[in-house]
Amino acid sequence: MAVPRGRILDLAKVQCRIFNTTFNPDGLRTGNKILRQRLKGASIADYYPRRGPTTRDLARLYPGLETYNDYEEERFEHIQITKSRGKGSPPKKREPNQFKKK
Amino acid sequence: MAPFRAKKLDLGCFVNVMTMRDHTKRKVFAENEVERQALRYITRNTTLPQRVRAQAQLQLTQMNCYTRYTQIKNRCVMGGKGRGVLKDFRMSRFQFRINALRANLPGVKKANW
Repeated sequence: MAVPRGRILDLAKVQCRIFNTTFNPDGLRTGNKILRQRLKGASIADYYPRRGPTTRDLARLYPGLETYNDYEEERFEHIQITKSRGKGSPPKKREPNQFKKK
Repeated sequence: MAPFRAKKLDLGCFVNVMTMRDHTKRKVFAENEVERQALRYITRNTTLPQRVRAQAQLQLTQMNCYTRYTQIKNRCVMGGKGRGVLKDFRMSRFQFRINALRANLPGVKKANW
């Protein structure tokens, strides 16, 4: 027994009303599938870990604060060692009117 | 030269031109995502007038390429590599191995049977 098309359409309409979907019997392309997609921008922008505060930032914010910088300490130590061996950087030249003479 | 790049670097991982570029692309994509989706909806909607759809298509093509999702590539957070990156750990396969063997990744265990 064939069911008339009108009744099937009515059924589809009721179905759409109950399940809160759009009634589109002709299967037109309304682009709703794009509206249905979730926005993924936030999760994509979070891929790389962001830069957190460092001791260097702290030292810059509070100039009086004593912080420990491993790299700097090592550098000073190295300079002291070279100086004690007499291999430090040479003293700066002191020629006051160097540029005026030329 | 780099119109979208942040003035101050806000990356906390391995920094490389490639990772920096990818990071800026991600941020630009997130900013423009809503606009892109709206234009995409207009172009795909066949019930709208043809002229409007064509205009939307034109606007989509004229947007900067950084706003496109296809520009984004998952890169290694530890070494910036673009190939062999495990999505769940955001690391390339070798960095993953090193970190897993050092027990830096909770729950990851070397297979043994």
